[in-house]
Amino acid sequence: MNEETIKTKVRAAFVKVLEHEDFVLNNDTSANDVKGWESITHMMIINEIEQEFNIKFKLMDLMNMNNIGDLLQAIKTTMN
Amino acid sequence: MEYIVNLQQSILKHSNKHAFYIGNIFYTYKDFAVEISKIRFHIANYIDPSEQLIGLVTNDDLQTYASIIALWLEGRAYVPVNPSTPVERNIQIFKATETNTVIDSSQNSIYSDYNVVASKSLKFTELNLECKQVNPEDIAYILFTSGTTGQPKGVPITFNNVNSLVDAIDAEPDFNLLASDRCLQMFELTFDFSVVTYLFPLLAGACIYTIPKNAIKYFYIFKLIQEQKLSVLTMVPSILNYLRPYFAEINSPHVRYCSFGGGALHNNIAEEWSNCLPNCKIFNYYGPTEFTVYSGFYPYNKHTHTKALNGIIAIGTPQKNTKYLVVDENNKEVPLNTVGELCLSGPQITPGYWKNPERNALSFFNIKENGKTERYYKTGDLCLKDEDGDFLYAGRADFQVKIRGYRVELAEIEYHAKAISKKKSNIVAIDITNDLGNAELGLAFEDAPFETDYIFDYLKGKMPDYMIPRHIRFIKEFPHSLNGKIDRKALRTFFLKN
Repeated sequence: MNEETIKTKVRAAFVKVLEHEDFVLNNDTSANDVKGWESITHMMIINEIEQEFNIKFKLMDLMNMNNIGDLLQAIKTTMN
Repeated sequence: MEYIVNLQQSILKHSNKHAFYIGNIFYTYKDFAVEISKIRFHIANYIDPSEQLIGLVTNDDLQTYASIIALWLEGRAYVPVNPSTPVERNIQIFKATETNTVIDSSQNSIYSDYNVVASKSLKFTELNLECKQVNPEDIAYILFTSGTTGQPKGVPITFNNVNSLVDAIDAEPDFNLLASDRCLQMFELTFDFSVVTYLFPLLAGACIYTIPKNAIKYFYIFKLIQEQKLSVLTMVPSILNYLRPYFAEINSPHVRYCSFGGGALHNNIAEEWSNCLPNCKIFNYYGPTEFTVYSGFYPYNKHTHTKALNGIIAIGTPQKNTKYLVVDENNKEVPLNTVGELCLSGPQITPGYWKNPERNALSFFNIKENGKTERYYKTGDLCLKDEDGDFLYAGRADFQVKIRGYRVELAEIEYHAKAISKKKSNIVAIDITNDLGNAELGLAFEDAPFETDYIFDYLKGKMPDYMIPRHIRFIKEFPHSLNGKIDRKALRTFFLKN
């Protein structure tokens, strides 16, 4: 799966959980930059991404995830 | 006041031990004592004794916790306000309590119309943890919960109430905190559950681990459990739904106690969770804010104690000096195994809602028992008592729901939404269950779709974050039941994701 496809799917997961499209996802985007992205919705986004990509993140990866770059990296490592 | 004297002694005795771990920094009891002394010196010397209720901005720092103890040593109460709650609601709370002074550790306080005590910039003069003569009937703290008319309800808790709570927990042989314990404190200080997560560890000389306000709460909790080897956890059950997908990776033999409260604990998830904590005792606590945090518990054990009703773990028996009574609509006790409203009596009962005689007339009643008048609080929780004397939770009697452990009156959300909406359509707030099994809020409009951003902007200025509905639906005609009421169950199905 190429970078663009991953990004598109990640964006779709955000839209589904947050119920709005008013954000841009770059590598350094973090919870502070996106309306509605906080503790609870983060858990739901992670859940959505796991289902969408059919992967399961390691708790250790999730513990140290701070921005979109970390998230994309974790998806790539988990898929391989 | 006994518990305050015990606090003072514990702080002095454990001087060199860690008291707090806040934002990756450890603070000793000595550090804590210094901050308490600074704040209490300021209160004693500069705040008029007539000011019994003092505002407290609940930041995640040592000064905020020190403020609580400083106020108690001076025989005064804290009125906590959450810095991330709309300032308008916080000011409403200060107005209702006639608070003039606000202790605020923020760099720049937004409460400039008040007498602000900047607790981070006070000078140290001398260590002083002497407890003043405290009137047991005076207020120790006052918390505000969601109210149906758009006005939050104030619940005052007296020093005697808190002392009775400590006394009851001390009497429990299965729960003994040690100075070596490392305890999770994941609650906002405006949430009454926080009282047990700072007070009991401080009384034992244990260390308290807090959650930074900007952290992804669930993963940070796990990080603390793993890396700091926490031994005592106190949580709301909804946390488990979020951590559940990762239970297989959690094995924490160092956890001794895990207490739940503030929501229904389901037996299947409790069993899975207890597999992650092989050496842990699990307590399912029950108790409303009006009864000083805890009123009793059920000692869950996946092998020996699994009593449940509709999959929800029993709430067990009342603790020392507390009485439970299950009543019908005429406040008469119902027979065993019959569902009724749970009512509580004993020394932990609040003196009553703050300046709210109408609400008090509805929520409290007196019964003559053995020649003595006992005052009972009606919890709004439906329960039954079984032949073993255990109480089991059966649901809510009204439209109050729990969101992340916080009590929310659906009517308060509807009240504010209707007040601002330009369209006079019917609006219903409803609790729905998300994919992970937790309650979230939805707002349904009986109308064709229209722009609602201004309504939500308004709601965000009126209510705390957890009360803002996350989902919106426009429904041409609300479903009704046979007797003409809105069918909430059917309405809920409109929120289900396709």
